Amino acid sequence: MNALIRRLVWSVFVVWAVATLTFIVSNVLPDDPARLAAGAQARPADVARIRAQLGLDRPAREQYVRYVSRLIHTGPKEAKGDHATCAIYGPVHFDLGRSYQQRRPVTAIIAERLPRTLSLAAVAAVLQALLGTIAGTIAAARRGRATDTLVVGSTLLGISAPTFVLGVALQYVLAYRLKLLPLDGFGATFTERAASIVLPATTLAIYGAAHYARLVRDEMIGLLSQDFVRTARAKGLGELRVVGHALRNGLGTIVTMFALDIGVLVSGAVVTETLFRWPGIGALSVSALVDRDGPVLLGIVLVSSTAIVLAGLMADVLLVAFDPRLRSRAGGARDY
Amino acid sequence: VKVAAAALAVLAALSCAGCGDERLAAPMAAAGSAVPERGGTLRLASIGDIRTLDPAASSDALGGMMVQLLFAGLVDFDERGAVVPDLARSFTIAPDGLAITFFLREGVRFHDGAELTADDVKRSIDRSLHPGTPNPFASFFDRIVGFDAYRAKKTQTLEGVEVGGRYVVTVRLRARDAMLLPLFALHGLRPVCASAGTRYDDAWHPCGAGPFKLEPGGWQRGRQLTLVRHGAFFRPGEPRLDAVTIFYLMASLTQRYKLEAGALDVMRDFTQGDLSRLATDERWKPFGEYEPERSIFGEAMNTEIPPFDNVEVRRAVAAAIDREQYRLIRPGTILPSGKAVPSSVPGYSKDVEGQSFDRTRALEHMRRAGYAFDPETGRGGYPHRIEYLAYRPGYAEYSAQVLQQQLAKIGLRIDIRLVSFATHLTLSQRRGKTAMSTQAWSLDYPDAHNFYESLFSSRMISDEHCSNAAFYKNAELDGMLDKAREELDPAARQAIYDRAQAIVRDDAPWAMTHANRWYVVRQPYVRDLELHPTWIYSLRRTWLDRAKGAIAARAGVFGELLGLSVPARNRTEPR
Repeated sequence: MNALIRRLVWSVFVVWAVATLTFIVSNVLPDDPARLAAGAQARPADVARIRAQLGLDRPAREQYVRYVSRLIHTGPKEAKGDHATCAIYGPVHFDLGRSYQQRRPVTAIIAERLPRTLSLAAVAAVLQALLGTIAGTIAAARRGRATDTLVVGSTLLGISAPTFVLGVALQYVLAYRLKLLPLDGFGATFTERAASIVLPATTLAIYGAAHYARLVRDEMIGLLSQDFVRTARAKGLGELRVVGHALRNGLGTIVTMFALDIGVLVSGAVVTETLFRWPGIGALSVSALVDRDGPVLLGIVLVSSTAIVLAGLMADVLLVAFDPRLRSRAGGARDY
Repeated sequence: VKVAAAALAVLAALSCAGCGDERLAAPMAAAGSAVPERGGTLRLASIGDIRTLDPAASSDALGGMMVQLLFAGLVDFDERGAVVPDLARSFTIAPDGLAITFFLREGVRFHDGAELTADDVKRSIDRSLHPGTPNPFASFFDRIVGFDAYRAKKTQTLEGVEVGGRYVVTVRLRARDAMLLPLFALHGLRPVCASAGTRYDDAWHPCGAGPFKLEPGGWQRGRQLTLVRHGAFFRPGEPRLDAVTIFYLMASLTQRYKLEAGALDVMRDFTQGDLSRLATDERWKPFGEYEPERSIFGEAMNTEIPPFDNVEVRRAVAAAIDREQYRLIRPGTILPSGKAVPSSVPGYSKDVEGQSFDRTRALEHMRRAGYAFDPETGRGGYPHRIEYLAYRPGYAEYSAQVLQQQLAKIGLRIDIRLVSFATHLTLSQRRGKTAMSTQAWSLDYPDAHNFYESLFSSRMISDEHCSNAAFYKNAELDGMLDKAREELDPAARQAIYDRAQAIVRDDAPWAMTHANRWYVVRQPYVRDLELHPTWIYSLRRTWLDRAKGAIAARAGVFGELLGLSVPARNRTEPR
C-alpha cells in the first residue's frame, strides 16, 4: 500500500510539474494570445480591451496562482458567476478556465472531445495489440521461415512509414478509390461512427502493431526455447497448445505495453485526428497551439499527462498481477 | 482468385496514389432547368474553422461569411461592394454629414418570430459596442456621439444612437465619416434577437433576421455547421436553398476527393497541384472562377530602422523585386501588383502607376543612398546584414528566398528568420524590433481607406500591434486620409486615393508584391453562386439545379478503378 501511495504522490507531482512547465513556456513565448483572439487586423485599443477581458493584463504569477487555486475547489451546485467555467460534481468543482478562442469552459470542450479520443484510442490499441500479438507469435513459431521474413519485413515498413503517408494512402485506396469507407469525419449514427473510426484506427494501429509484432516475436522466441516448453512438447502437446502455453507467459509484457499505449493515445493522435477530421483531443491541440489558446493547451496537457501517469500506474499493477514472480519477489501482492 | 484480384486492385490504386497524371472525375450533372428551384442543401467545406457566430465578436472572413447569413444588416454590400439598404428600406444622410437616419422595413421577422423594431437596432448596437463585449472592431465606431463615454462606462447606452419611432433609428456623429455606412454593412452591429439581451454572453444561441437560421445542435464545433432557411425572411423567395452545410477543418485533398464524388458542391481550398489541374481540366474549367481580390501582400520596411530610414534604400527594394517571380510560387492565385489596394476594392487607383521592377533603377537608388553596388564584382552595397522576418507554414517561406536572391543583386543581404504566424504577428508589429518583414492586409470593409489608413497612417503607430508595420509617417498622407474619411463624394475620395497611391509608391514604406485571389470550383448544378467582394459567397439567391434525390456518385467497391461505377446520367459530357 505504501508503494501505491508513493506512486500516486509522485504521479500528482509529475502532472503538476508538466502543467507548470507548459504555463511557463506559454508565457515566455513572444506571442500575444489576445492578438490572436482579437484577430490579426484588430487595432491596439481593441486588442488591449480583449486582453483585459481575458485576464491577460494581470501579472503571469497572479494568473498562475489563480489557475492552480481554481483547478479543484468547492462551490455552489450551479455553474454561475465565478463558477461559470466549472465542471461540478457535488460540492467539488474542476475549473480549467475559459478558452480564449471559443470562449467556452475548457472543461466543457475537453468533456466533448475526450470520449471521441478515448474511443479511437481504445479501438486502435485493441487492434494493434491483436494484430501485433498474432503476427509476432506466428513469426516466432515459424522462425527462420518465409512467414517470419514476411512479418519482420512488414513490421519494418509499418514502423518506418510516417503516419501522414500511411493515412493518406489508406484514405486514397479504401475511401477515395474503393469507396469502402468514409473519407473522414465522425458520423452521426452508430453505424456511421463505426465506419468512420476504421481508417483513423487502422492508421494508428499499423504503426503500433508493427512494434507489438517485433516485441512479441522476440519475447516468444525466448519463451519457446524455455524448459517448460520443451517439457510440454515432450508430453506430446500439439504445437498450437504449446505456443498458447508460451504466449500466456508472455502476456505480462503485452499487457504492460497495452496499458502504456492507451495512455499515449489518449493524449491525442495529432496527425491522424487532423487528417481524418476526427474531432478529438489531438485535433484540438493543433488548433489550440496555432491560436495560442493557453487554457485549452493547459487543459490538454493536464488530461494527457494524467492519462499517461495513470496508464503507467495501471501497467505496474497489471504486470504484478500477471507475473507471479514479481508478487513473490517483493511481497507486492499484499501491497496491491 | 478473388483475394488476388482484390490485392491487385489495391496495389494498382496504391501505385496511383498521388500520381501527377491521376485522372479527375467529371463534374456531376445539372438538370438543365432555366427556372430557379427552391430546396436542397448546399455543401461547402473549409480548411479553417470558425470561433463564434455572434456578430459582435466575429473577426475572421470565414466566420463573417456565416454570420452574414444568420444576421441581416440595416445596410449590406452589393456584389460590387457598394452599400445598399437591406433591413432598412432607405437611409438619409444629414446635409452636414453628422447624422444618418435609417428607416426600417416594417414586418421584418427575427428567427424567433418577433418583429424587428428600432429598439432592437439600438439594443444590438449598444450590446455590440459595450466595453464588456469582445468586439474586435469596436474602435472603428469611435465617431459616434457618446462613444468614449459609453466605452468608459459613464453612460448606460450609446448616446449617439437614437430611436426616432418604431421603425426609425438615427446615428449621430461627432465628425463626418464616409466609412460609417460601410462599417454598418459589416456584421458587427447587425440586429440580434431579444434573447441576446443588452450585454454579450458567450452562451447565447445565435438568432437574427438573416436568410438562414441556426437550429439547436446545428453547429458542431470543429466539425460542421448547418444553417436552415428562415421561412419568414423579409425578401420574398429568398433564400432558395433549404440549408447550407459547411464542413470545417477539412484537408484540401479530402475536399477534392469529395468534390469529385459529388459529396461537396463548392470548393476553394486547393493544393497547388489540384488548382492547376482543376483550372485547366476542360470538364471543370467552365465551373471555376476567381473571387474578387481582397488581400494585398508586400515587404514592409521599418522606416525607423537603418537602412530603411533612407527612402532611397526603400525605393531600391521596391524596384529590385521582380514580382513575376513571386507569381511563380503559386501561379493561379498570386497576381503580381505594385499597388497598395487590390483592384476589386472601391478606391483602387487604376490610372496611377504602381511600383515596378527595374534593376537598373534599383541600383541607381542604392548609389544615391550611398551604397553603390557593382553586380559584376559583388562589391559594395549595404555593409550590414538585415534580418527579414517571415512565417511558416505558408507561401512566405518560399517568397523569402526569392526576395533574398533579388535583393542580393543590388547589394542588400538579408537573413531570413522563419517563425510561426503568431510570433511573426507580434514581432513584426512591435516597435524597434524588425527591420523588414513580409506583410499582408485583407479588407475589413470594401474601401481603399481601410488599406491606406491601417498600413500607412501615422495614427496607427503604436509600440505593440502596430498595423503600420513600416512605422511610416507622412503628414501629407495623414491629412489626405483624414480628408478622405470625411469626404462623402466618391469621386472626390477617389482623387485623394490616387494621390495616396502615388505617395506610397514613391516613399515605398512597403515594396508591394502581389494581390491574392481565390479560385472557386462549383458543381454544374450549383447556380447563381455569387462570389462576393466581402462575404466570400452571397447565398441568398443560390439554387441547386438538379433532379430530385441524391446525385452523388454511387461507386461499387472496385467501380472507380474500372471506371464503370458512376451512372452516365450523372456525368457531364466532356467539352
